[in-house]
Amino acid sequence: MTQMLKKNASELDHEFRYEISEKVGAKSLLKCIQCGVCSSGCTVTEYVDLQPHRVVASCLLGLKDEVLTSNAIWTCSLCHRCTERCPKNVDYSFILALLRNMAVKEGKVPKEYSSTVVTIFHNGFVVPYTGGLKDNIDRRRGRMGLPQIIPPKLEEIQYIIEETGLGGLVKEEEDEK
Amino acid sequence: MEFALFLGCTIPMKLPFMEKAFRDVANILDVKLKEMEGVSCCPEPVAMQSLNIDTWVALGARNLAIAEKMGLDIMTICSGCYETLKTVSVLLEEDEEYLKKINGILSKINYKYTGKTKVYHFVELFSQPDWLDKIKKLIVKPLDDLNLAVHYGCHLIRPSKIMQFDHPEKPEKIDLILEALSAKTIEYATKLECCGYCARLQEEIGENLVEEKMTELCELEEGVDALIAVCPACTTQYDRKERIIARRTGKELNIPVLYLAEVMALALGVELEDLSLRNRSVKPDKLIDKLTT
Repeated sequence: MTQMLKKNASELDHEFRYEISEKVGAKSLLKCIQCGVCSSGCTVTEYVDLQPHRVVASCLLGLKDEVLTSNAIWTCSLCHRCTERCPKNVDYSFILALLRNMAVKEGKVPKEYSSTVVTIFHNGFVVPYTGGLKDNIDRRRGRMGLPQIIPPKLEEIQYIIEETGLGGLVKEEEDEK
Repeated sequence: MEFALFLGCTIPMKLPFMEKAFRDVANILDVKLKEMEGVSCCPEPVAMQSLNIDTWVALGARNLAIAEKMGLDIMTICSGCYETLKTVSVLLEEDEEYLKKINGILSKINYKYTGKTKVYHFVELFSQPDWLDKIKKLIVKPLDDLNLAVHYGCHLIRPSKIMQFDHPEKPEKIDLILEALSAKTIEYATKLECCGYCARLQEEIGENLVEEKMTELCELEEGVDALIAVCPACTTQYDRKERIIARRTGKELNIPVLYLAEVMALALGVELEDLSLRNRSVKPDKLIDKLTT
């Protein structure tokens, strides 16, 4: 974290800021005045290698690799206080979601996140709902007099996941198992 | 008044006693609920939005389309489902091009979303003045002696430009409901702190946040009978981590964590044995004593 980073201007990705700001809802990135309000109210500010205002500064400077490999983008709890408090209406928590999407496309995604889509792909739900697990859930609900769960057609859910570009990630996770 | 009930995954599958309490409350307050057939995970806002915003929105839009076909607005009972479905509905309402793109995907599986579904969380409904009056009239067992601390959590109230639910930093809607039930709600410094459940890469973040809030609540002079939450993630986070931290630090942390619908059900006359209040790491024995003596 304290390591000094030296880069020549020619090594910076000057398009990075526009790659983010061209997305609907992320144009606000360009308005940041580096006041640091986001970082002062941030839930995880003491646990990240780059505080929110420094992530934004790094995006504006074109430090794409540094941002996409930082622990900061995946440590955030998405409490949205940064977005709420920014005096320039920079929607940091949404920009952060975009940065995570970009990191995923480059194959940099923590297991804690990628496992969610695999579970949804096979169950339609974020809780495993097949075989014995399903029977237990159904029995418990039955005892409480709760109606039966009518799950989605899995092929519909799988189609959406593949069509929107996460099919590859699901397959990668499976191959690793 | 009738809604399409969106249950999500965690509550119906892992914490069905919360669903039971909510259904009891809805029944007493004469809110009709229609089951939604074939809905999927909302999908979960933190991981799915992080992996791919389009996947998140398209799966959410499919769920919204099911409610639209039923001709009903959606009632959610989980803050995560509420955040996802409300955000997706707002994004698609504000951006016609995006709605077209998402419908292009949905059309191949015969769904269409035109943007008509409104998304509610039960707190939003029951905190309206006429509903508070209705609740007051139907109280069977006023919660007179209870000191309750509210935990709002993040996803119910922020980002406010989308959720438009309550004040993003000084919310009051859950407090209003508890006060209508005749309970006393307590102001405390860490009220608006995040539970840390969604900061999933570093366990210590959640543990520190839980320790901070629970330590403060235990030290308050009023004596807190329970922490009240409306999100399954926050509820389990506080309930489970509180015991772990107490063991590790030797601190006496003993605040039970209850789901809002559970205390509403109690006050509205649902019998204790029909609820599962003791289904927790920290048992609300003192609270139960106060209510039964």
